[in-house]
Amino acid sequence: MTAGDGLSYLVGEERNLRQLLLDSDVLPLLKGVLAAGASCARLVDQEGEELWGVTAPVGRGELLARFPILLEGEEVARLVVYGEEQHLERLRPCATLLRVALDTVLRNNLKRVLTTEIHTSVVNNSYEELMQINAELAQSEARYRELAGNLETRVKERGAELKRAQAHILQQEKMAAIGQLAAGVAHEINNPLGFITSNLHTLQKYVGRFCVMLQFYRDQLNLDQPLQAASAEADRKWRELKLQHVMADVGDLMSQSLSGAERVSRIVADLKGFSHVDEAGDAPVDLNQELERTLGVLSHALAGGARIVKDLQPLPPITCKGQLAGQIFLNLIQNALTHAGPAPLITLASCFDGERIRISIADNGKGVPAALRSQIFEPFFTTLPVGSGTGMGLAVVWEAVLRIGGTISVADAPGGGAEFIMTIPVGKE
Amino acid sequence: MIEYNEAEKRMVLKLVYYGPALSGKTTNLLQLHELLTRQGRGDLMVLDTTGDRTIYFDLLPFFLTAPSGLKIKVKAYTVPGQVCHDATRKAVLQRADGIVFVADSQPCEAQSNFASFDNLEGNLSLVGLDIDALPLVIQFNKRDLPDAIPEQEIRNSWGPTGIPVVMASALRGDGVAETFGALTGLVYDRIDARFQLLSGHGLTRERFVQQLTSLREEGMEDEP
Repeated sequence: MTAGDGLSYLVGEERNLRQLLLDSDVLPLLKGVLAAGASCARLVDQEGEELWGVTAPVGRGELLARFPILLEGEEVARLVVYGEEQHLERLRPCATLLRVALDTVLRNNLKRVLTTEIHTSVVNNSYEELMQINAELAQSEARYRELAGNLETRVKERGAELKRAQAHILQQEKMAAIGQLAAGVAHEINNPLGFITSNLHTLQKYVGRFCVMLQFYRDQLNLDQPLQAASAEADRKWRELKLQHVMADVGDLMSQSLSGAERVSRIVADLKGFSHVDEAGDAPVDLNQELERTLGVLSHALAGGARIVKDLQPLPPITCKGQLAGQIFLNLIQNALTHAGPAPLITLASCFDGERIRISIADNGKGVPAALRSQIFEPFFTTLPVGSGTGMGLAVVWEAVLRIGGTISVADAPGGGAEFIMTIPVGKE
Repeated sequence: MIEYNEAEKRMVLKLVYYGPALSGKTTNLLQLHELLTRQGRGDLMVLDTTGDRTIYFDLLPFFLTAPSGLKIKVKAYTVPGQVCHDATRKAVLQRADGIVFVADSQPCEAQSNFASFDNLEGNLSLVGLDIDALPLVIQFNKRDLPDAIPEQEIRNSWGPTGIPVVMASALRGDGVAETFGALTGLVYDRIDARFQLLSGHGLTRERFVQQLTSLREEGMEDEP
C-alpha cells in the first residue's frame, strides 16, 4: 500500500504537537497573553522541554496558571502562564482563554491532518488502481494490436493462397478444354482412319485375288495348251474370283481412302495451327484464320446440326501468343453451343474500323440477363447445374482477352440470344 | 498495529467498525463514548465532510497503561458503509488489529450485510490482512426493532464460522460495551505472545479488557 514515490500515509499514525502546531499558530496566542500583562507563557512537553515560550523583559514572576494540553484525549503538554500575583484575577481568565484557543487550533489542525491523510491515502490508492487499470488496458490493447497485425498478414496469406488456387484452376480449365478438344479431334480422326483401315483390308483381299489370277496365267503359259482352251479356262477362273466386280470396287476404295487420309492431315494441320505448337513467343496472328481453325477443330461438335453463319471481313494481324486466340474462340463457341436453342445457330462476325478489331460471336439461346452480366466472367460463376460446368470457361476467355490487350462484353444478340463482343485496339506501327 | 515503540513504551492499536451503511457503526462509538469512563478514553472525533464523498469516518481513542508502564492507545474507527466509499474503507483498514462487523438485524438488510461482509473480506486481502487470523466480532444491531431476524436463526447461520456474535441495540446502549470487550479480548489474545503483554508487561487479559471497557460510574466528574 505504498504510493510508490515514498509518500505513504497510514491512517491513524501518531502525531506530536510539533507536527500539528506551527509557530504561527502558537506564538501570536502566547504573545497575546503577554500583552495582557503576563510576564511569561510557555508550552512544555511531558519531559519538561519547552516547545514554545515567550517571556517579557521584566522577568518571570509567579506561576499563575497551569493547564494540560490534550491530543486525542491524551495529555501531551502543559500550558504554563507566569505573572505578578496582583494581576492574578485578570490573568487567570486570559490563561483559560489561551488554553481554549490552543485547544481549538490543535483540534482543527488534527482534523485537517486526518482529513489530509485519508484523502491522500484514498487518492494514492485510486491512482494506483487507475495505473493498474491503465496497464491492463495497455496490455489488452497490445494484444489486440498484435491480433490485428496478424490478421492482416493472415488475410494477405489467404488472399495469396486463393489467387494461387484460382490460377491453378484456370490452368486446369485450360487443360480440361484441351482434353475435350483432344477427345473430339480423336473422334474426328478415328472416323476416316476407320474406313481407311477397312478399305485397306478389302484391298489386301483384292490384291490376293489378283495374285491368284496372275499365277493362273503363268501356269497356263507353261502348260502349252491350245490358246482356245486356255482362254476358256482363264475366263472360268476370272468369274470364280469375281474379278469383274473387284476391279470396279478398287477405284472407289482407293479414292475414298485418299480423301480420308486428306481429311486426317487437314485436321492435324488445323490442330497444329490452332495450338501454335511451333511458335515460341509472340507472332502475327490473323484472327479470322484462328476463328476458322477453331471451327475446324470443333467440327465434330458442329456436325450435330449446328448452323454457322459467318460474316468475316479482312482484319489486320495482331501480335500475340498464338494459343490465346484459339482459347478465346474455343471457349466462346463451346459456350454458344451449350446455351444455343434446340436448332443451334451461331453467328460469327468480324470487322476492322481502322483502329479496333471487333469480333462478335452470337447464339440464339436465351441470352444473359442484365443482372448477371457483370458476373459471368468471374471464376466459378455458372448457370449450369452443379457438376455440369466449372464456371471457368468465360474466366479463361476474360484472362486471354486481357492478355491480348482487348476487352470483352456481353449484350443481347439482334434476334435474341447472347452476343459476346470482343474489341481489340490495333496499334499503328 | 499502528505503532509499537519499545523505547518510548508505547503501543498504538487500530480497531475498525465495519458494516453496511446505516447499520449503526457511529452509534456504537457514540455510545462507547457515553458509557465509558472519561479516564479511559479520549474525545470522539467525527469527520463528516459532507461535501467530500471520500472522507467520512469517526475516531474514538482509548488509553490504558500496563503495570510495566507500557502505554497502550487504542484507536477505534468507523468506516463509511456506502458502496462509493470503498477507497476510504481500504485506507482505514490498513494495519487494523481487529474488526467489529456491525450487521443490521432487519430482514430486508440481509443482502446488504452479505455484500458488506464480502467487501470486508476482499478489502482485507487487498491490504494484506488475513481474515481468518484477524480478531473479528460480529454484532447484530437493532435488536430492538420488532421485525429483527430471530437470534436463533442468526446463531445457526453464523455459529459454524466460529466468529463471536453479539446481539446489540446500539441506540439503547445494549451490547455495545460487550461487543467492544469481546473484540479487545480477542486482540489481547492475538498480540499477547508477540509483545509479552503478560510476561513482559504484567498486563492480564482481564485487566486489558476491563480498563478499556470500564463503565462510567454515576456522579463521576463530568467533562470540562
